[in-house]
Amino acid sequence: MEEILIVKDLKKTFKLTAKQRKINKTNDLYKIAVDGLSFKAYKGEIYGLLGPNGAGKTTTLRIISTLIKADSGDVFVDGIDIAKNPDMVRQKIGFLTSELKLEDFFTPNYLYDYFSALHKIEKTLSEQRKNYLFKKFGIEDFKEVKIGDLSTGMKQKVSLVISIVHDPEIIIFDEPTNGLDVITAKSVTDFLIELKKEGKTIILSTHIFSLVEKLCDRVGIIFDGRMIKDDSLTNLTKEKSLEDVFFELYDERIGEKYE
Amino acid sequence: MSNIWTIVKKELKRFFTDPRMIIGLVLPGVLIFVIYNLMGNISMEKIAPTITDFTVYVENEPTEFQSFLNKDGWNINKNKENLSKDKIIDKIKDKEADLYIIYEEDFYQKMLAYDIDTGKMAPNIEIYYNSTSESSNLFYSYYLEILNQYESNISNKFDINRDLDIKYDVAKKEDTTIQIISMMLPFLLMAFLFSGAMGVCSESVAGEKERGTIATLLITPTKRSHIAIGKILSLGITSLVSALVSFLGLMLSLPKLMGTDFSFQAYGLSTILLMLVLIVMTVLLFTTLLTIVSTFAKSVKEATSYAIPLMMIVLLVGITNFMSTTATSNKLLYIIPIYNIVQCLIGVFSITIDPVSFLICITSNIVYIGLGVFLLTKMFNNERVIFNR
Ligand SMILES: Nc1ncnc2c1ncn2[C@@H]1O[C@H](COP(=O)(O)OP(=O)(O)O)[C@@H](O)[C@H]1O
Ligand SMILES: [Mg+2]
Repeated sequence: MEEILIVKDLKKTFKLTAKQRKINKTNDLYKIAVDGLSFKAYKGEIYGLLGPNGAGKTTTLRIISTLIKADSGDVFVDGIDIAKNPDMVRQKIGFLTSELKLEDFFTPNYLYDYFSALHKIEKTLSEQRKNYLFKKFGIEDFKEVKIGDLSTGMKQKVSLVISIVHDPEIIIFDEPTNGLDVITAKSVTDFLIELKKEGKTIILSTHIFSLVEKLCDRVGIIFDGRMIKDDSLTNLTKEKSLEDVFFELYDERIGEKYE
Repeated sequence: MSNIWTIVKKELKRFFTDPRMIIGLVLPGVLIFVIYNLMGNISMEKIAPTITDFTVYVENEPTEFQSFLNKDGWNINKNKENLSKDKIIDKIKDKEADLYIIYEEDFYQKMLAYDIDTGKMAPNIEIYYNSTSESSNLFYSYYLEILNQYESNISNKFDINRDLDIKYDVAKKEDTTIQIISMMLPFLLMAFLFSGAMGVCSESVAGEKERGTIATLLITPTKRSHIAIGKILSLGITSLVSALVSFLGLMLSLPKLMGTDFSFQAYGLSTILLMLVLIVMTVLLFTTLLTIVSTFAKSVKEATSYAIPLMMIVLLVGITNFMSTTATSNKLLYIIPIYNIVQCLIGVFSITIDPVSFLICITSNIVYIGLGVFLLTKMFNNERVIFNR
């Protein structure tokens, strides 16, 4: 199987501002968010990063998406070093999180064309793809309505579509169903399965066991920025449910901490 | 390169298709036009058109000096009516009289007897005038010239307007205000350009950071430098439109404000072109500075409050405009940002601009803008700046 994403010994430390120290109730000047994380994803699979809040999932995905830089370690996307060639990596990946917002003033139609142009997609190709995606997600009906006037679910759909205007090989999805109503959530998960069928690779993060069980081929369980378990879903859930496996690991981890 | 254009197009669409934004851009200019036209109407009534005859009050004039004022058409009033000093000064204030000259009693004798070595004060002449009256001003300088010439001939035997505590210029306050406004043009222009740019730029990147839309742009394979240039160009164009509307409002009010004498004919096409170049440069410089500030800030509110000290600096530098009505000739000073533009504007408005200084000014501004773009590019690459919320 072809390794399309390689993450090697990734480290990321945040310097905490006075305000952050207050919020986190800590006197530490630094927070190690990702602490020597490594994993691989193969072409055509769905890989899930599973971990509690604050485990470092978002930070990891942001590094892979070139939004922030790691302190040390390497990431290769389809053989390209993200530190050396971030622009090429940006062409290959689509990154989607609820923190990436669209400007209220514009319509889905305009924004699609705008981002498509920034990705330098040829016009007729872009039109075709737009029609296909807008139909698929039912955006047709409100494509000329300003983002500011759309519901959260509609916005999420538009964001999803816009993150994949360039038909990326790898889709990175931070908490895919967070904050979505059940119907939109379903259309998102269905779409991910469809993308997988098309041969795309999907990296997602979540703290929801059922989502992993439904979608993922392989799972990486992370606590405190470290990879605790990295295996296929079938292997992991041979004897126990994913939830039981997770909490066993979690209890072990807590035990270690207080020894 | 095409990405720069894509970004510029989108930003301009936002500014120029949103009615609220358009009103925000155009309103200051309209206000300026309305306000200055009202002020202009006041000033029109105050301007005296003819300067062929003068009315001069004189007291204790030595017979030896009478020839100074002996000219046809001049109405020399020896104050036979015995008007009080205050009455005459009021007449000058109201521009009914031009000058009030008071010699000390027995001035001529005292003058001849005066010996500088005695340490006593020389005999004095008081001359009251009104600097906002063209005829008074003219006659004042004329008379002063004669006296000064005479004085140097007889080697400093008297003083003119010796008492520093007396206000010999009796111009009314509102008249002076109008004169100052015409002097303030470069300063006003800087103020308009800055506030135009501030209104547009403060919100720009800080707003996108706040709303989380900048990251959406940053994950596209668009070069950071292209984003920086695209932002600056679109914000620059928008600020320029806003500033030009303000400036147009001012220019259209000028003929009213300055009276019938004022005409744009005095400024040739080249002057207008030079002025436009300066305006474009200024706007781009302000836009670059303010976009950097906006990128650095955590929120729009913070961006606006950071921009205020910057505005103070611009206004303070703009005030150097009042210190002299001619541009500095020191070429080295033309590399100081903002100051160089004020100096060039003074030069352009007074039609005394020196081409080398102008070129130094423009070149240094291009360099500063280039450095700004470079810095902004670095900032867009820096997660601590982009995600510092
Ligand atoms: N910009 C930042 N500055 C300071 N601390 C941060 C920053 N981003 C994340 N962190 C901290 O790093 C840790 C991991 O965060 P994150 O990657 O968001 O976790 P997850 O997505 O798994 O919930 C958390 O403790 C979080 O508070
Ligand atoms: Mg997260």
